[in-house]
Amino acid sequence: MVGEQGDQDRLAAFEDRIARGEKIEPGDWMPEAYRQQLVRMISQHAHSEVVGMLPEGGWITRAPNLRRKLVLLAKVQDEAGHGQYLYHAAETLGVDRQELLEALLTEKAKYSNIFNYPTLSWADIGIIGYFVDGAAILNQTMLARCSFGPYSRANIRICAEESFHMKQGKEMVIRMARGTPEQGQMVQDAINRWWWPTLMMFGPHDSNSPNSPQLIRWGIKTRTNDDLRQTFIDNLIPELHALGLTVPDPDLSFDEDTGHWTIGEIDWDEFYRVIHGDGPCNKERLDARRKAHEDGRWVREALAAYAERVETVEVS
Amino acid sequence: MKADLKPDLASYLLAMADDEMILAHRNSEWTGHAPILEEDIAFTNLAVDEMGHAGLWYRLHADLADEDPETYPDRLVFFREAPFFRNIQMVELLRGDWAFSMLRQYLFDVAESVWLPDLASSSYQPLAETASKIAREEMYHLRHTQAWIRRLGRGTPESHRRLSQALDEIWPYALQLFVPQPAEEELAAEGLVPLKSAARETWLAKVEADFKASDLALPDGGEPPTTDRRAHSEHLVGLLTEMQSVARAYPGVSW
Amino acid sequence: MTDTQWPRFYVFKQDSPDFPHLNCGSVHASDGEMALLNARDVFVRRPDCVSLWVAPASRVAEVTVEGLAALESPATSGQEQDYEVFTKSASKGQHARVGKVVANSPADALRKASEAFNSDSWVWMVVPSAVIVASPEDEGPAWFEAAHDRPFRHQSFYRTERLIREIKAGQHDPPGDD
Repeated sequence: MVGEQGDQDRLAAFEDRIARGEKIEPGDWMPEAYRQQLVRMISQHAHSEVVGMLPEGGWITRAPNLRRKLVLLAKVQDEAGHGQYLYHAAETLGVDRQELLEALLTEKAKYSNIFNYPTLSWADIGIIGYFVDGAAILNQTMLARCSFGPYSRANIRICAEESFHMKQGKEMVIRMARGTPEQGQMVQDAINRWWWPTLMMFGPHDSNSPNSPQLIRWGIKTRTNDDLRQTFIDNLIPELHALGLTVPDPDLSFDEDTGHWTIGEIDWDEFYRVIHGDGPCNKERLDARRKAHEDGRWVREALAAYAERVETVEVS
Repeated sequence: MKADLKPDLASYLLAMADDEMILAHRNSEWTGHAPILEEDIAFTNLAVDEMGHAGLWYRLHADLADEDPETYPDRLVFFREAPFFRNIQMVELLRGDWAFSMLRQYLFDVAESVWLPDLASSSYQPLAETASKIAREEMYHLRHTQAWIRRLGRGTPESHRRLSQALDEIWPYALQLFVPQPAEEELAAEGLVPLKSAARETWLAKVEADFKASDLALPDGGEPPTTDRRAHSEHLVGLLTEMQSVARAYPGVSW
Repeated sequence: MTDTQWPRFYVFKQDSPDFPHLNCGSVHASDGEMALLNARDVFVRRPDCVSLWVAPASRVAEVTVEGLAALESPATSGQEQDYEVFTKSASKGQHARVGKVVANSPADALRKASEAFNSDSWVWMVVPSAVIVASPEDEGPAWFEAAHDRPFRHQSFYRTERLIREIKAGQHDPPGDD
């Protein structure tokens, strides 16, 4: 059927499928807006994983013992792997990975703001695992229930691997918090720098998220930004306090009535400044990705040429 | 084994561990900067494996040196100065371009494919078992690096030129792989380790065959820059300064 | 030459001899041999795996129930060949290998697959057996054993939850005493 009525019927059928908990697979009919939202979200997620290799990757060469060095290598490697699964999910919607990468490198595409902050000490590595991966797990656990099959499956695979990321960071933080005074100071300083940016990972307040209702109706999101952020805070604060650590928030308080921790105001000016390119490391992150891409060009060309020649030989 | 050979075998194992550790560290510098995402994952796997192998050899060394295998490896890796490392110079060289790092890894993988099976029949049981397990993983490494050398050699004029240049630079260093270690003959006489000189010919034959498939010529002759594993380049100092920086800033601390 | 991320290859992983190959994703590679090597590093860092297949994405054909009707009519000529068939049910899981069909085109293979394997299936995927590059059967240990020896990749290796519970319950001395 063509025309508006046909599309409306298809849209209704599509939304029914989602309401029934069915997965939408590549090749199924989907509204163009659904496809576009997903391409944007999935590719942004993928770019975040890839850029996210850089702040921690820089410390692999300085890890202070063999165990931490191996664990950090494995973790950063997983992040590349997650980027890989996510680009695949985006590709099932018909986009080309080359195009996605060009969008990232020419700053047309975004990635998670959190990776625009510098890692200034070894303690940052523990905090990134504990906080940033902890936040990512909440988000990805939700996305594992997403209506689009390939994105749901990618997130399921990612969640299984990510829990070690969080735990190894937590283990480091526990050890430092209970170690020497210098270690304690180092980890508290790291928290002071990473706390607010981590909270911003959950996105703007619900009142400022115009896309959320439609994303929820289409099964792309199942929880709101504020809801996820609250869960994160409620889980984390008691643990930090038990370790003798604090967060840099003079307005932090526990609400006896609701059983939730309330925080002070998030500095949304900072959030938007960093998103728009004015963060501490935006330039360095993209420069590093551009350099890797440019330096690798001759390698990609060489293997493409080899494959072509071998094919020609086989055919003839 | 004869008591007086214990220290020699311990030194032999330390040298193997240092080779793997320094090479793994150099490889890990590529993580996040590889030519394509799949290689960020694949080449890092090689680094993870090599670092794991280093850990196994360090533990065996600790056992023979009557040190605690749980703590001694970290002391060796993070608190020794450059003159006390026993790796060959090839592994401490800067990572260079992708052709250089691939070629270095390839030459090392071929060497391991030759002597690990021999080490797997060592009369020292722990060494035999470790070598046997590592040999299985190394088989996969060699497939990977062989595939790369072939493709870079026969890819584009640029990739061939870079690979050739890498070969010119690295070849003399690679020859140090087969310089006999101190007391190697006595160790070999007890069936503890194979003779490196015997391995050299097998290595050359394998490398020659792969080079042919890559349009590369096996260089003629050449001498390693040193025959003494105590001699290092300043590259090792730069490497260790970075690698040991956090550990040395807080000695004795638990991370 | 235009820069390229190399073509895609679908990856199929068999966790154990009792289970079928499942489609776990794809890799970008310049050719089949590199695709297989990359697939092992991308998908087999954790146990278990006994067999890995890769196939060029351009040779994989897929259809959902909705799309069956729109499939082109089977070709009257065209060489018959074996196609591996993978299916998936609507709500969950990955495409799993269910068997083979013989067909003379991808569309023909999809149609035959939907007839032969139709209980609980929603999506069918077919790929000519001849284009699949498989991990060598006799090299299983070299390819897949290492995954078992890297426990630090698994979350159970870290005792953080018990430790935090104990600290909260005051079962550990104050910091600095460890």
